Amino acid sequence: MIQIAKDKTAYIDGTPHLIGEGESLLNFIDRHKGRGHVPTLCDAPQLEPYGACRVCSVEVALEVDGPRRTVASCHTPLTPGLHIFTESEKVNDLRRNIVELVLTDHPLDCLTCEVNGNCELQSVAAKVGIREVRYPQGRNHLDRKKDLSHPYMTSDLSKCINCSRCVRACDEIQGQFVLSMHGRGFDSRIIKGFDTSFEDSDCVSCGACSQACPTSAISDIFQSKSIEATNHTRTVCTYCGVGCNLEVATKGNEVLSIQAPPNAETNGAHTCLKGRYAFRFYNHPDRLRSPLIRREGKLVEATWEEAYDHIAENLNRILKDSGPDAIAGISSARCTNEENYLMQKFIRAVIGTNNIDCCARVCHSPTAEGMQRSFGTGAATNSIDDINETECMLVVGANPTQGHPVTGARIKQRAMKGIPLIIIDPREIEITPYAKHHLQLRPGTNVALLNMFSYYILEAGLVDQDFVERRCENWEELEAGLKSLDLDEIEKLTGVDRQEVKAAAIEYASAKGAMSFHGLGVTEHSQGAKTVMLIANLAMMTGNIGRRGVGVNPLRGQNNVQGAADMGAQPHQGAGYLDVTDPKIQAHYEEYYGAKVSGEIGYKIPEMFEAARNGDLKSLWLMGEDVVQTDPNSEAVRAAMANLDFLVVQEIFMTETAQYANVILPASSFLEKSGTFTNGERRIQRVNAAVEPLEGTKPDGQIMVEIMNRMGYEQSACTPEGTLAEVAGIVPFFAGATWEGLGDNGKQWPIQEGCESTTILHTESFKRGLGKFHFIEFKESSEIEDNREQFPFILTTGRLLEHYNCGTMTRRTRNSEIVSKDVLTINPVDAEVKKICSGDHLRIFSARGEVTLEAEVSEEVKPGILFTTFHFPEHMVNNITSDVHDGDTMCPEYKVTSVDVEKV
Amino acid sequence: MALKVPADLEKEIDKRITHYPESKRSAVLPVLHEVQSHFGYISEDAVVWVAKKLELEPIRVLEVVTFYPGFRQKPVGKHHIRVCRTLSCAMAGSAELMEEFCKKAKIDRSKVSHHDPIAVSEDGQYSIEFAECLAGCGTGPVCMINDDFHEEVGTDKLEEILKNCD
Ligand code: SF4
Ligand code: SF4
Ligand code: SF4
Ligand code: FES
Ligand code: FES
Repeated sequence: MIQIAKDKTAYIDGTPHLIGEGESLLNFIDRHKGRGHVPTLCDAPQLEPYGACRVCSVEVALEVDGPRRTVASCHTPLTPGLHIFTESEKVNDLRRNIVELVLTDHPLDCLTCEVNGNCELQSVAAKVGIREVRYPQGRNHLDRKKDLSHPYMTSDLSKCINCSRCVRACDEIQGQFVLSMHGRGFDSRIIKGFDTSFEDSDCVSCGACSQACPTSAISDIFQSKSIEATNHTRTVCTYCGVGCNLEVATKGNEVLSIQAPPNAETNGAHTCLKGRYAFRFYNHPDRLRSPLIRREGKLVEATWEEAYDHIAENLNRILKDSGPDAIAGISSARCTNEENYLMQKFIRAVIGTNNIDCCARVCHSPTAEGMQRSFGTGAATNSIDDINETECMLVVGANPTQGHPVTGARIKQRAMKGIPLIIIDPREIEITPYAKHHLQLRPGTNVALLNMFSYYILEAGLVDQDFVERRCENWEELEAGLKSLDLDEIEKLTGVDRQEVKAAAIEYASAKGAMSFHGLGVTEHSQGAKTVMLIANLAMMTGNIGRRGVGVNPLRGQNNVQGAADMGAQPHQGAGYLDVTDPKIQAHYEEYYGAKVSGEIGYKIPEMFEAARNGDLKSLWLMGEDVVQTDPNSEAVRAAMANLDFLVVQEIFMTETAQYANVILPASSFLEKSGTFTNGERRIQRVNAAVEPLEGTKPDGQIMVEIMNRMGYEQSACTPEGTLAEVAGIVPFFAGATWEGLGDNGKQWPIQEGCESTTILHTESFKRGLGKFHFIEFKESSEIEDNREQFPFILTTGRLLEHYNCGTMTRRTRNSEIVSKDVLTINPVDAEVKKICSGDHLRIFSARGEVTLEAEVSEEVKPGILFTTFHFPEHMVNNITSDVHDGDTMCPEYKVTSVDVEKV
Repeated sequence: MALKVPADLEKEIDKRITHYPESKRSAVLPVLHEVQSHFGYISEDAVVWVAKKLELEPIRVLEVVTFYPGFRQKPVGKHHIRVCRTLSCAMAGSAELMEEFCKKAKIDRSKVSHHDPIAVSEDGQYSIEFAECLAGCGTGPVCMINDDFHEEVGTDKLEEILKNCD
């Protein structure tokens, strides 16, 4: 037997066990005897210990025969040498009495309860051995009314046992503070907001409370805790780049509900309402269920064979007449890695052009470009889990609680623990009240503001000289540039007081570890990639790279936008970011694909539209992207679509863009396919089909393989194991990744030996060797230069928690009952001048067109600034956005449009 | 509607908060007392105001208000009567006292409950509730009307006491 040190052991029912750091009695017992050995009611693994129910009581003694004391194990810290008795008669009696008393005020109608068979009260009652309740029925709360007001959340508080798990879930996980215990003693009860319904409260329907509630007292319309499902499949959310793991409950071929697997490293027991509840689009009657071919101007149903023949015939014709560069493809950051890989391979190896791009172009292409230039790789340097260790958070141009809700909640939680939060954003956002500094700049002036921010770090002598000298280059250029700044001018441009900037800069630079997060408020600008380089500068000049709790962490928009770029869905770099113009690399790809590939950089998305309009581009293949709705300046995009000779669209729903298609191929949704998504922290995670593809549809990967084969290229079937192996053979940082090895929680690339994760990048040196500083001069966007006289307001755009981009999916769920329109936010000062009240209909017009939106008067925006979301295509916000692009990557400048506004 | 807090009250509240340097949250009780004694009760707007002052979520303040019966969520009458009902006073006749008060002040107590213990007269002049020991046990039954303490309140004294209120 191994000799174990006395100060490291404690005894459970006489047997010594090693104790772990910071363990409670319950943690210790759970670890050695399994969860459930000691019954619990108010404790939940995802929540802090609370100690309300006392069901977890155990007896403890300092000596084995010494006097014993009864304590609640869940919130009692463990001390070495302690003797714990988990099954003595005394504790058994105590537990039984407690549960029996709870049951006196609980409806005994288990058989008709939705959680029958999966109820913690039921199992604890069974465990402690209750056969009957000895007390006569007294006063009780069995007549409490159900709350069925909300599209998703429900409550039936007659089933409530006052454990407060829901309250703590709302506070500790979501940070929404909707729930509380009202009153005291026998009369205490759970309330929502000021004692209203779910519908009228501030609940954001994340479902954390429902998942935490041990009974059916708080639940949801899908009855997620019921045991009706016959199968559970672990997969990954298809919406945003947080990459929440989901557990999908199915019966036959129907999805019943979705919960969060408690052991998910990305999201614990948390999701937002999109991941958990917005899934009913998947079998919506609007789903496309048959290929459609345009014949005599009309889209008519066809078989897959006919569709493929028609496509092959037309593509071959165009290839023959106009060559491969007359064809282009746009891949989808919503599809799996394998599907993106196949799509780019089809365009590169089968068609023979580099005209391949994906929607990263319109969101984070500047991040990839900017970080590649500074660090050598475009991906997040750290992991989301680092939030738990960081000492300062800088959020630039992102609204994380809306756009990346689960990460947003973690940032908020950290800020509530007193860790300083700095926000650089033109708007007051949900986390602003928790921020120590909010630099509310005028949209379009990120570069100016960040220059000033860097200047003050330099001025305060807070530059990490050692890091700069050892790990970086080009510091002199930056230093000289910063010293030459005209601070008066910057103050005027940004509209932010220099003292505020200084205080925030000092906060960031003097923290032991500072993490930055940025979103599309950084990238979707004419100086997008350059702004990213400035954020990289900040991290390097303060040594915030290469350890836990620091780094540059773009909040990637789409579920697989990281992966789409990794797979080569971009015109200048192939799979694994290898330069397509390098002859050696060209040869390498040719050998791997067994086909000729082009050495010319292809079209970026905006260039594709341009080429389509002028007739150079004849054919476009779109995988799941509604470019007419989502790309800026819709009129010009429509003209491009109309001018194409042959448009193929792979979609799950009919879209504005698909109206222009020559062939529409009905694809399957994420619930119907397997593969991998890579989230914003480089985590390659397994997507598992929960149900069979809807009849008539095919997964995008299968469609790609079939068309490749039809066009005469031999491509093996798209399978999770096989295609991932093919990807791992060409993408350097995937080398060693296997389906098996990814496991439940996925692995962060670059994959290490034994299919292990890399959680932090650039620990010893940067990918490009030395990190490179860049000095960047602020340049006003031409949109503002050209139009500010005539259109004096600046319109900026953003997202809402409830909807996803143009809402193709979320608007086909009950999310649209929660939010059903876009509105225009305008400052009260401007509203007064223009005689506008909340609810008025407004005409907003720019140099390109006009839209009508309802007004919301609010101080969220400063005077002169307008804000709207873009989830409702009927408003066509992109009719007015400009086609100014980021100078480096052609990412459109959605965030700055010169407009004027008037009441209609 | 935002709560209108007079400057001197806010000053007093700010002073109270400084007594709790560790965490503003700890000041929630004294601040609520100040608010209640000024406004007579703690409205929803007051809860929101206090929460903002203490950098808390409103529900964190509301739960405190609902926990203590001493905090009122509804306005009381111009003259608020608290009749002691703890043992000595009960034996000295606080039940009868309550009944008489209600009759004289025209207050209907039939709807009061544990969580809504206060009844108000229709004209809003008087309100009444039972209180626990008011520390005058030797001279029961006792009651308080606003801040004034009354001892040995026989039912015959009521008329006069009520008259002197105005
Ligand atoms: S669903 Fe989320 S936000 Fe709503 S009450 Fe529950 S935990 Fe709070
Ligand atoms: S609603 Fe559920 S989680 Fe909340 S206190 Fe009641 S039983 Fe516990
Ligand atoms: S949308 Fe994002 S935050 Fe919400 S569940 Fe999906 S991955 Fe998680
Ligand atoms: S589980 Fe420990 S007190 Fe409830
Ligand atoms: S019992 Fe009435 S004052 Fe003490």
